[in-house]
Amino acid sequence: MKTAGLTTVIVLLFALPLLVRQPYYIHTFIITLIYVILVSSLRLVALSGQVSVGHAAFMGIGAYFSAIISKEFGVTPWLTIPLGGLASMAVAVLVGFPFTRVRAIYFSMVSLFGGIMIVNLIRVAKRWTGAAGLAGIPPLTPIEIPGLVTITFLGQKVPHYYFTLLLTLVCLLCLHRLEHCRIGMTWKGVAQSHLVASSVGINEAGLRVLALAVGCFFAGIAGAWYAHYNLVVTPNTFGFLPSIFLVMYMLVGGRDRFAGPIVGTAILVMVPEFFRSLKEFAPLILGGIMVLVVFLMPRGIAGLFDQIGAHRGAPARKEAKNAA
Amino acid sequence: MLLETRGLTKHFGGLAAVTQLDMHVDQGEVVGLIGPNGAGKSTVFNLITGFIRPTAGTVLFDGEDITGRKPHAVAATGIGRTFQIASLFPDFTVLENVVASFYLFPRCGFWEALFNAPSYRRKEREIMRQAREVLQLVGLDEARDMPARNLPHGHQKVLNVARALAVKPRLLLLDEPVAGMTHDEIVFSLGVFEKVRAEGITILFVEHNLEFMSLCDRIIVLNFGQKIAEGTSDEVRRNEEVIQAYFGSEDAA
Amino acid sequence: MGIELLGQVSINALMLSSMYILMALGFALLLSIMGVVNFAHSVIYMAGGYICYQFAVVFGVNQWLSLVVATLIMAFLGFFLERYCFRPFFGDPDRTIVIALALIVLLESSVNILVGSYVRSLPSFAPGVLRWRGVSLSVERLVTFIIGAVLMFALILFIRKSKIGQQMLAVAQESVGAALQGINIYRVSAVATVIACGLAAVAGSLMGAINNLNPYMGDQMLVKAIEVVILAGIGSIGGVLGAGLILGTLDSFLPLLLSGSATDAVGLAIVILILLFRPQGLFGHEA
Repeated sequence: MKTAGLTTVIVLLFALPLLVRQPYYIHTFIITLIYVILVSSLRLVALSGQVSVGHAAFMGIGAYFSAIISKEFGVTPWLTIPLGGLASMAVAVLVGFPFTRVRAIYFSMVSLFGGIMIVNLIRVAKRWTGAAGLAGIPPLTPIEIPGLVTITFLGQKVPHYYFTLLLTLVCLLCLHRLEHCRIGMTWKGVAQSHLVASSVGINEAGLRVLALAVGCFFAGIAGAWYAHYNLVVTPNTFGFLPSIFLVMYMLVGGRDRFAGPIVGTAILVMVPEFFRSLKEFAPLILGGIMVLVVFLMPRGIAGLFDQIGAHRGAPARKEAKNAA
Repeated sequence: MLLETRGLTKHFGGLAAVTQLDMHVDQGEVVGLIGPNGAGKSTVFNLITGFIRPTAGTVLFDGEDITGRKPHAVAATGIGRTFQIASLFPDFTVLENVVASFYLFPRCGFWEALFNAPSYRRKEREIMRQAREVLQLVGLDEARDMPARNLPHGHQKVLNVARALAVKPRLLLLDEPVAGMTHDEIVFSLGVFEKVRAEGITILFVEHNLEFMSLCDRIIVLNFGQKIAEGTSDEVRRNEEVIQAYFGSEDAA
Repeated sequence: MGIELLGQVSINALMLSSMYILMALGFALLLSIMGVVNFAHSVIYMAGGYICYQFAVVFGVNQWLSLVVATLIMAFLGFFLERYCFRPFFGDPDRTIVIALALIVLLESSVNILVGSYVRSLPSFAPGVLRWRGVSLSVERLVTFIIGAVLMFALILFIRKSKIGQQMLAVAQESVGAALQGINIYRVSAVATVIACGLAAVAGSLMGAINNLNPYMGDQMLVKAIEVVILAGIGSIGGVLGAGLILGTLDSFLPLLLSGSATDAVGLAIVILILLFRPQGLFGHEA
């Protein structure tokens, strides 16, 4: 039943450009997919009990790194994008060791400041990053399948869409796998009690750095991908408010479920776009949705299933089955 | 000597919680650590297991100096422990609690987990088998799918022990393992500990319950962070200082 | 550094500190009394400034009166906020964040709809220059500092001396115990929110006159407020004064040497370091 639903959704997603033709809507879907990766990776970090309020900054690291390397040194974005992810992960490990010394709300605040500081440092490094932004980012290099077709990306929405969709599916697969394997279980244990976790030999501080590193890797990938799609990046995209909005997408979607960030991002990014015609009244729709969700759905939109039905211990049985 | 402390001392600011504690536990023994509230018993546990750094002194485990090591490193050397309160993963089920605790042996790598390698699946099956075994040992196998926080208090305490056994300990440190239990539950726990002891695991515990004392080979008494007596159950009960510590001298009344 | 420059930068430091403190005090009140991390504080600050503009420039009301009106409006909004937005989510930090962010979206778009969120210029409250011992100082900044200082001390006095102020301190330290003692924690929360929003509105209007009004002016200020609160230590209301002074001074003197972004980065780095090694802040009690 569940697999059938999932397959239908995936088929629909692949069929989307055939159903919806306007480039503007395709653009919205592409952006939504990128943010789905971002928010899902944020949730991975949150699994270990750390809510990072600076996640957008790590998107920025990936974006700027990939953009600069490919622009200045002529390396193909197909290579620099994974490098962007690695760069973001490296920074996460660097700041992770001091940052994970503190927990809970203090971690959130440190991550908030850390994120802002990263963006400030990006601004300070004007020589590489440009004063108000970085333009002229090379697009994804065309793919040549000899004898068949050449896929170009510059100015083409549809190829971008399909490859973004592929990227998103691969990333989600990895994130899902990590959450449901032993590592994910260990992260969840650490989130519940770092004392108990330590007492059974779990290096809980190290595990939390790992969660941050992996989450930021995907954030960096998403950011780098975004850079080579948008061809322009500005520091504001990765600052304080975007980071907070990422947290909001996760919370509104529902923090407890894997689908939470997907649902939350999809609704909160796409719905205001569809109401664009309302111009300055459009954000009110967004605010209205948020108010609705926060009052009526305590576990977020995806948490509705848990809210309506009783908690039957289904996730636990699945864990046991998976481990067997 | 499996566990030994020499001159173990801990000061919190101006307060001396533990002072010059020399104690030891031999392989296969069951030793009880008792003393009035505030005597420093839990502090000693935390010092041994690395949750607190000692101000002075050493902790030796099987001859190895483990003083000041991080808690997870201490666990890896073969010391398992329970906590007085908050000793579970509350959101996990009973089974998940134990499965999650089988972190050290066998150890799963990041990449083999990510790609669901055959080696990983084999390890997971092994862990599941061992987890079920431990749960059967403590009599909680029936309740394995229940959320841990829904367990009655006594069962939670027993689950703590199951969790601690997952590190394949040679030494088990139990902090008030039967506090708040009913009489029947205590009798059941005693049975479990006998089984644990039969496996060759050394036990050091903190307790107040006198019935539990019968399990001990030896008792160490603390007061104000210092060892004031040591011996068999009978010897300790007749000790003047111990009586004074628990009931106060006439002058203090 | 010439005496002229020193004088001006010092006045700027005092002014900036007082504004940071006004914002930080409000934020700290909400944090310690209700456990609410009020991200929406930024838009209250901004809305206060824009409302003042609306009355002063569009409606032609006396600017000082406009300031009072804006403050009262935002204070009233605070009452509404506490009752319908914060109170339902006591003890649920996730949902409190969402409602605060919803507020940001709603308030920002409301201001946009009503006033139009272009960069606006609010005329100076006290234009002119004061000459003191041969140094020209901005009257406006001096006056802003004085207003800020007066409000600061009025609030501290209120908390220390008044009955409700005492109750606020009690709730901040131990809300369950306070409730058991018969303190109406809801009334305390309401007063705290009203005060916090009022202070933010004053700061927004005064700063809006010194700088410009723009829709994102609150973001920077909120970050500064949180920095001050962290530096001072969560739970330390008095420490906010010291921390605010430190940060205000830093932000006034450092730009002489570094760029704006670099200055911010330095301030952030200091706060991060403090947070890592002394999570209870400079003046706080316990982590």
